[in-house]
Amino acid sequence: MYSTDGPSGRARLDLLDPLEVSKLGGLELITQGVVEGFLSGLHRSPRRGFSVEFAEHRMYQAGDELRYVDWKILGRNDRLYVKQFEEETNLRGMVVFDTSRSMAWTGSPSTVLPKLEYAQRLIAALSLVLIRQRDATGLITFDDDVRSVTPPRARLSHWRQLLGTLAGSQAGRGTAAEPALRRVVGQLRRRGLVVFVSDLLLDRELVLKALRFLRHRGHQVLVLHIMDPAEVTLGGQNEARFEDPETRSAVVLRPRDWARAYRNTVRAVVSEWRLACRRHGIAYHRVTTDTPFGVVLRKALAPPSRSA
Amino acid sequence: MIGFLHPWVLAGLVATAIPILLHLLARREPPTVVFPAVRYLVTTTREHQRRLKLQNWLLLAVRTLLVATLVIAAAGPTVPLTGVPGHAPSALVLIIDNSPSSGAVVGGTPQLGQLVAAARRVLSRATPDDALWLVTADGIPRRGDRASLGELLNDLRVSPRRLELGAAIALAGDVLAPESRPGEIVMLTDLQASALSPSSFSVPLLIGRPAAPPPANVGIGALETGTQPWSSDGGRVSVTLVGDSGESVPVSARLGERPARQALGQVGSAVTVNLPGVPSAWWTLTAELDPDEFRLDDRRVAAVRVARVARVRWDSTSRFIAAACEVLATNRRIQPGQEITMGHLAPGTSVVQPPDDPAELGALNRALAARGVEWSYGSLSTELAFSDSGAVVGRQRVTRRYRLQSTASGRTGVLASVKGTPWIARSGNVVLLGSRLDPAWTDLPVSAGFMPFMDVLLNRLARGEAALEQGAPGEPVPLPDQVTEVRQGEREWRVEGGGLFQPPDPGVYYLRTGRDTVGAISVNPDSRESRLARATDGQARQLWKGARLVPLDEAGDAAFSLASRGDLRGPLLWMALLVGMVEVGLASAWRRRS
Repeated sequence: MYSTDGPSGRARLDLLDPLEVSKLGGLELITQGVVEGFLSGLHRSPRRGFSVEFAEHRMYQAGDELRYVDWKILGRNDRLYVKQFEEETNLRGMVVFDTSRSMAWTGSPSTVLPKLEYAQRLIAALSLVLIRQRDATGLITFDDDVRSVTPPRARLSHWRQLLGTLAGSQAGRGTAAEPALRRVVGQLRRRGLVVFVSDLLLDRELVLKALRFLRHRGHQVLVLHIMDPAEVTLGGQNEARFEDPETRSAVVLRPRDWARAYRNTVRAVVSEWRLACRRHGIAYHRVTTDTPFGVVLRKALAPPSRSA
Repeated sequence: MIGFLHPWVLAGLVATAIPILLHLLARREPPTVVFPAVRYLVTTTREHQRRLKLQNWLLLAVRTLLVATLVIAAAGPTVPLTGVPGHAPSALVLIIDNSPSSGAVVGGTPQLGQLVAAARRVLSRATPDDALWLVTADGIPRRGDRASLGELLNDLRVSPRRLELGAAIALAGDVLAPESRPGEIVMLTDLQASALSPSSFSVPLLIGRPAAPPPANVGIGALETGTQPWSSDGGRVSVTLVGDSGESVPVSARLGERPARQALGQVGSAVTVNLPGVPSAWWTLTAELDPDEFRLDDRRVAAVRVARVARVRWDSTSRFIAAACEVLATNRRIQPGQEITMGHLAPGTSVVQPPDDPAELGALNRALAARGVEWSYGSLSTELAFSDSGAVVGRQRVTRRYRLQSTASGRTGVLASVKGTPWIARSGNVVLLGSRLDPAWTDLPVSAGFMPFMDVLLNRLARGEAALEQGAPGEPVPLPDQVTEVRQGEREWRVEGGGLFQPPDPGVYYLRTGRDTVGAISVNPDSRESRLARATDGQARQLWKGARLVPLDEAGDAAFSLASRGDLRGPLLWMALLVGMVEVGLASAWRRRS
């Protein structure tokens, strides 16, 4: 259970139901409310960089700047170590946002936000958190092609530009994530953070290949797998023709006959994604659109585990 | 071969299309639902699609089989049971044709014995679950079990009553109609051609008939005694021979125990035998042939009344009465005398016709009342009407008549009627005619039946004697009003005048009023029984469509033909239950798995 009361005693929007939160106001206002709640206990960037406050040592790698070599250790142990410092503002993040047609869907419009709208709010909150930490944040939106590219900046005014881009993003047609992910390379010259927000209804191998490439370039990669609750659990009694809004492929079946098998399939798909990501050092989180934003932010911005 | 008790139910097999139709209806295009994760559904169903399709077809087959099984079970399927003793419970009517012709001796034994033996073989195959009836020539269906019907067979004798085979089949059909068990009629008969009559039936009909041909037979078909009463001078009888033998046979006839007179006769011809005079009395006339294989028709009886002819005084002013009486007197059927007064009321026996002048009617009625006559003349009717047919007078045209009124509580003594109202009536020694014997009143005086009518009127009716009736055993005969008793030999029956009497056996039955004999019924077997010629199987099949004819020896094995078939309803219902359980099990198991 999450407490929805902040230190001031007011309700914390980051822990409220996303649909209810979305009804409270515009994208900027509610995002600020969510982030205020989320940041109420966080004041420092969880990311490590090369700043003035020493954090730890690590083995020297080719390409490391010689000025960070700890000569004292070299003298004592004849080994090359470089010093790492707490980084405060120099992280560069890039959010890659899937705006394909499948993202515009919700299984229950009255109770659950469409995946696209949920992701818009989540990305807005995430980028605000990063920018408040003076981390430069950019945004790439795509459907069957790259629709917009916003380079990373760390100014608050830049966040409002991101909001405008997010608010203007419409559900497109198909999904082609690989070109968008490859565009990240041009935007992040240094190692940075790549957040891939998608329902992952795409070509898994191509996407994993692109993510592996990013990871190979030294970027931290975080995958947020957005799912509608109705995609997790197949509901309904009577036979229906289920049609993919993007490919128009269809399946006729009676949901009650297939609910269990479908649940197992989804579980297997998620498991495969999680395993594949973990294998390549990619953080993966499955997010259902009824999950409070704060919970997702907490997962997304938590220090990466070694296994991730 | 599979048979069905209710084949029309098979029309319900169209219901087997219901699961198929439901299946096809379910295959109609369902509503479309937008669902992005179709790829997950494809992945899910790809592995199960073949199994699911197999399940669906299997369920469809099971449900169709369930409906078909129930429908076929309702149709009552049966299969022959070969080598399996017993049969399904059934209802069987056993008709034994013990009519007079069954008394013919064939192969040294009476035909009835062969029929009874065949009947025993049929009954031996019955089980306690069967419903059994026995129908014989008396036309009474008797229900019982194998033992009780066997007892009846022990006591079964050749009946003097004729059995119409078509009527017997119809009766059996009526008996079986309310039965739910499969019904069957088994008729054991000599298949006498003259006994065949059309009939329809809805149950299997098995006919067992003798294999040996019937014997040639000569019998007495008719015995006529001429006009009665006979005078003491004797009389003449005519004996008609019937049958299918061309031989000449001696015919003897006798009155009572008097010596018989003989003559030689042939089939198809009438033999006349003159009998000598006997004293006035009622006599039993017996005509006989030498015994042959069929004894029942070798003897025939008739009642003969021997009496002096009536001595009549007639009114010569009534032209037609006078003419008739003179003719009768000329032919020695009456004599002039004082015994009977013909035409008006007089002391002694009188035959009264109404007065020509209506003014005299009152005086006549008063005189009748003074004599104690229980009838009087009522209103005059000039409506054209006809007399009701009867033994005394046939159908005659009547233009004027007085309605006869009974002054007593009953209306006994009615001898003839017109449109149901008394026209000729008798009370005491007075006979009242409703119309004058004149063509202006009725056509009777100018009809051919006038002379016989006058003979009967004067010699019998005026004397208080009723008609001489002919009858057959078991056939009801109407009794005259005044009869109180019927006597045959030592046997007596108390009867009510005007009712019906069923003479049980051949013979002469005397009708009595108190101590007086007023008439007789001559009862003889139906002359059609004398023709023993058998119908062919083809004739029988043509008359009774679907009937199965077998020799008597095979009737026992052929009986219960329908019930000797195994009833598949039980196994089919069990099978339906099993199929239903399989369907429920499969459907629920697969639903759980999905």
